[in-house]
Amino acid sequence: MVEYAKYVDVTKCDGCRACMVSCKNWNDLPAEPQDFLGSNQSHAKVTANTWNVLSFIEHENSKGNLEYLFRHSACFHCKEAACVKVCPEEALHYTDFGTVVINDEKCVGCGYCVQNCPFDVVSLATYKDKHGKEYKKAQKCTMCTDRLEEGMQPACVTVCHTGAMEFGEKDKMIQKAEKRLAEIKGKFPNANIYNPAGVGGTHAIYVLAEKPSVYGLPENPKVPTSAVIWKDYAQPIGKMMLGATTMAVIGAYISNKIFYKEDHGHDENGGGSNE
Amino acid sequence: MKKSVVSKEYQNLQKEILLLQEQWKQSLSPDTVKPNPDKAGIAAGVPAAALASIDFDISLFLQWIQEVGELLSRKNPELAEMLGRVQGLLNEETGIRWIDEAFALNVQYFASFAEENNLDGWIPQFLAETALRPYLQLTAEKFQNQISSGVPGTGCPVCGEPVRLAQLEGEGKKVINCPRCLAHWNEKRLSCAHCGNSDHETIRFLTVEGDESSQIQVCEKCKGYTKVIDTRQFISTPSSAMLDLTTIHLDFVAQENGYTPGPSR
Repeated sequence: MVEYAKYVDVTKCDGCRACMVSCKNWNDLPAEPQDFLGSNQSHAKVTANTWNVLSFIEHENSKGNLEYLFRHSACFHCKEAACVKVCPEEALHYTDFGTVVINDEKCVGCGYCVQNCPFDVVSLATYKDKHGKEYKKAQKCTMCTDRLEEGMQPACVTVCHTGAMEFGEKDKMIQKAEKRLAEIKGKFPNANIYNPAGVGGTHAIYVLAEKPSVYGLPENPKVPTSAVIWKDYAQPIGKMMLGATTMAVIGAYISNKIFYKEDHGHDENGGGSNE
Repeated sequence: MKKSVVSKEYQNLQKEILLLQEQWKQSLSPDTVKPNPDKAGIAAGVPAAALASIDFDISLFLQWIQEVGELLSRKNPELAEMLGRVQGLLNEETGIRWIDEAFALNVQYFASFAEENNLDGWIPQFLAETALRPYLQLTAEKFQNQISSGVPGTGCPVCGEPVRLAQLEGEGKKVINCPRCLAHWNEKRLSCAHCGNSDHETIRFLTVEGDESSQIQVCEKCKGYTKVIDTRQFISTPSSAMLDLTTIHLDFVAQENGYTPGPSR
């Protein structure tokens, strides 16, 4: 299957926040009223019920002038995603489109994904069951995988009126990003394409006007070592050990049977030890 | 959300037919169609294909009918007997007749042909129409750069098919697409392709809940409708023939609400 990606050219973004609205609308997410945070930005970061946030960064450029940098921030859909790596229930998984989604039924709300996401994108939402008991589930942007399955583009992309966002085959989106980078290098000398290799590349490819750190993004995000140790070593060894224990139990059962029979043969009247 | 009511099997069959038509069209020499520069005729809405002289190759036309018959028989072996019988009925004379009647969309002729020869009613016209389209599509390709707008009420400027499908492109430009010859031309966003009405009070839009990418534009003056699909929201844009098929539920909605795709037939 063709690999798809969302292309975000932040230099074309005018901060209208239509992507935030369309995301709430399509995914039926509740509003999260916020106090004034001291800037034009509505929410500090993405949350379990606000899957994309338009960040407004007040940046002083090399000439000492103020530059207002906008960035549509949402899940990056890493190719080698830490959240998928650490999920003990395999609730987080990759789809055929390359997107990373959460299977609500499998998620137990352990929060490992929240702790390990290098971009701080996953959050836990709290729900109440019919008895009033609270339970948690991880939530994040799905890249509108339910739309992709019907051949439709993600909701945020369809409303972008400046053409800052596009959705299509990953190779084409990377080509587009490279072309755009060449165009804006003169105006933004620090411009770069953000498709970090530490997580195997992402399915949300950004053309950034400044260094990733200016946007609050990790310069070189990685799947945390602890996550690799957990999934690639601790879990298999744990399962192996579980296997050994199971074998021991079965072994003990069988040997018990044998001994019991032997014992039984010796002492038909019962009683005594069967060891 | 479900984008189409048409089964995947039928969509796949149609895709294979469209692929065949594309191959057939590619095999035709571009000189097969000689345009007639009758500007007055085109301005009055006479289909370009009716004015042009098209050099039909009857044996090729009959071969295409055989090929599509074989495809249908493969997909549905129950049809093999009837489709095989059609081949026996066709000769050069009926081939010429079929081209003429398919071009004129003469439903009565094909219905009586089916009845006389004890065939399912849909078979003769379906085969003739399928094999005619590559010629119409080649004609449309030749004329495409000359068509900028249509004449209200006359249907497709190339083949005369009634207007029923439009797509939104770019910043919201409405482009009418002909699913028969694949020609396309621009139209004002708020204008009826059937009567030219552009009064916003009498043009309305019907929408299907949960389907935000399509609307049915209806005109209260002439009771005509056009399906307007925002294919900018799609990951990849299908051919207008496929799009027309996958949005057939909108035709039902429009027609059940008393609207028609224009009287230009």
